[in-house]
Amino acid sequence: MKLYEYSAYELSEMLRAKKISSRELTESVLCRAEEVDGKVNAYIYTDREMSLKMADRADHLIASGKAASRLAGIPVGIKDNISTKGIPTTCASKMLENYVPVFNATVMDKLADAGCVISGKLNMDEFAMGSSTENSYFKTTRNPFDNDCVPGGSSGGSAAAVACGEAVIALGSDTGGSIRQPASLCGVVGLKPTYGSVSRYGLVAFASSLDQIGVFGRCVRDAALLQDEIQGHDSMDATSAHRSYPSLYDGLNDDISGLKIGIPSEYYERGVKPGVTEAVMRSVKELEKRGAKVIPISLPSTKYALSAYYIIACAEASSNLARFDGVKYGYRAKDCDGLIDMYERTRSEGFGREVKRRIMLGTFVLSSGYFDAYYKKAKLLQKRIQQEFDDAFNSVDVIVTPTSPSEAFKIGERVLDPLAMYAADICTVTVNIAGLPAVSVPCGYSESGLPYGMQIIGRKFDEQTILNAALAHECSFGGFRKPAI
Amino acid sequence: MDIDIRHIAKLSRLRISDDELAGYEKEMSDIIAMVEAMPDIEDELTVDPDNAMTLRSDETVSEKIPRDEILKNAPKVVAGCVVVPKTVE
Repeated sequence: MKLYEYSAYELSEMLRAKKISSRELTESVLCRAEEVDGKVNAYIYTDREMSLKMADRADHLIASGKAASRLAGIPVGIKDNISTKGIPTTCASKMLENYVPVFNATVMDKLADAGCVISGKLNMDEFAMGSSTENSYFKTTRNPFDNDCVPGGSSGGSAAAVACGEAVIALGSDTGGSIRQPASLCGVVGLKPTYGSVSRYGLVAFASSLDQIGVFGRCVRDAALLQDEIQGHDSMDATSAHRSYPSLYDGLNDDISGLKIGIPSEYYERGVKPGVTEAVMRSVKELEKRGAKVIPISLPSTKYALSAYYIIACAEASSNLARFDGVKYGYRAKDCDGLIDMYERTRSEGFGREVKRRIMLGTFVLSSGYFDAYYKKAKLLQKRIQQEFDDAFNSVDVIVTPTSPSEAFKIGERVLDPLAMYAADICTVTVNIAGLPAVSVPCGYSESGLPYGMQIIGRKFDEQTILNAALAHECSFGGFRKPAI
Repeated sequence: MDIDIRHIAKLSRLRISDDELAGYEKEMSDIIAMVEAMPDIEDELTVDPDNAMTLRSDETVSEKIPRDEILKNAPKVVAGCVVVPKTVE
């Protein structure tokens, strides 16, 4: 077994016992990336020298006994909308093609303090808008299980890199399913934490009230390890939650006897493929065998969630992306005839089609005469959806649904039909609307060998319970299956 | 519903070419048709008292990023200033 194939928690022990060095591990991961990234296209940016320098620093920390973190020396892939000081951060957009941040996101400072190694910056849909990574300005990431299929999105680079060993673990961001859906399509574990539990400082904003940085791993333990490192209050983020954040890794326990699992019928109806439903229900049965109790529940407003989501997200995006005007940083159109001409041409040339459409949709729903009909209605629906989850969690501990209504679809299949593309998020957007934590775990495979994912949703700040349920599932299901790449 | 894409694009500081217009009109109309199915809810928007934001107090910035470093990302710089097209004749 090669080093890049091990889980982060195993590698952590090997590093601390000095059986391997971070340099050896980093070399192994970078070589793997060189070997397969021509097929997968997961990375936008790598810098071998930079990564090895970080590895040497980690080895020094470990050798001198100063490495306090379990992740010291472990290579982590970073979604390219997370600000990395001195390292290009493009958001997969022409608008930021040459942008090099002068500051680190809080999560990057935390990873640096822990002694982690950055393996590179990972591809995504432009400004995190999309569900397939086809909206990247640079390239389309391919699913490691079938190179003709999408890896999901928007964090498709993160999911694909972890699945095929180009990164041990990775950071992503999730506004409507952008961690969980690609995790599902690439057969890895993806955790979207509670809104407010991970600082958003330095995450390039798409929809600030829904955006959340989260983690990818090939197993539940790895996701817990990385989440432990990045969670916590940050004074640089006004929405960051003041509370204690005990170690999720230390709290992992696969004993789920007495756990009450809610099954909402609405998530097993519209457009969900029978194979997905069967795989999820088979997994639920296994959890029952381990002592969990299954309770049918109803979340009736689910059918309106996609509409509410796209209104709120696009409204916030239209405001957040107003900053890209060609003045202080980023792309600027050439030979402009005045300031307005510069703004309009810069934005029209710098943004891709999906981003422009979402900015216009957001502008429309906030424009004079339409606010009450769209934005206000969507915000009231958000309140109702939150209430329905609150009520459900009075009688259950976790809620289990499919993560994605289908397995990975073909590249190009949905590009021209935004509604078909948006439907990929139908099972995940409610979690962002309600600010809840949820984890996606692999739970089965289609006839052609493409992964299915199961989503486990929890109460606010109760990541521990969903990860414990995910661990119990992983013990029954057998965990990560390598793609044949 | 008819959406005046040109007007919305102008508000968004975007320019839509004639070739793109029909495509955007169709896609935006489809999306608006989907979101119009949202029900009317008799309620008012309120601030959630359980999740009020805790804002930090104002403080003097102690860690400064050098001007030159910040300006490295600017598209056009002259004498330490960002340059934009002339706005006043």
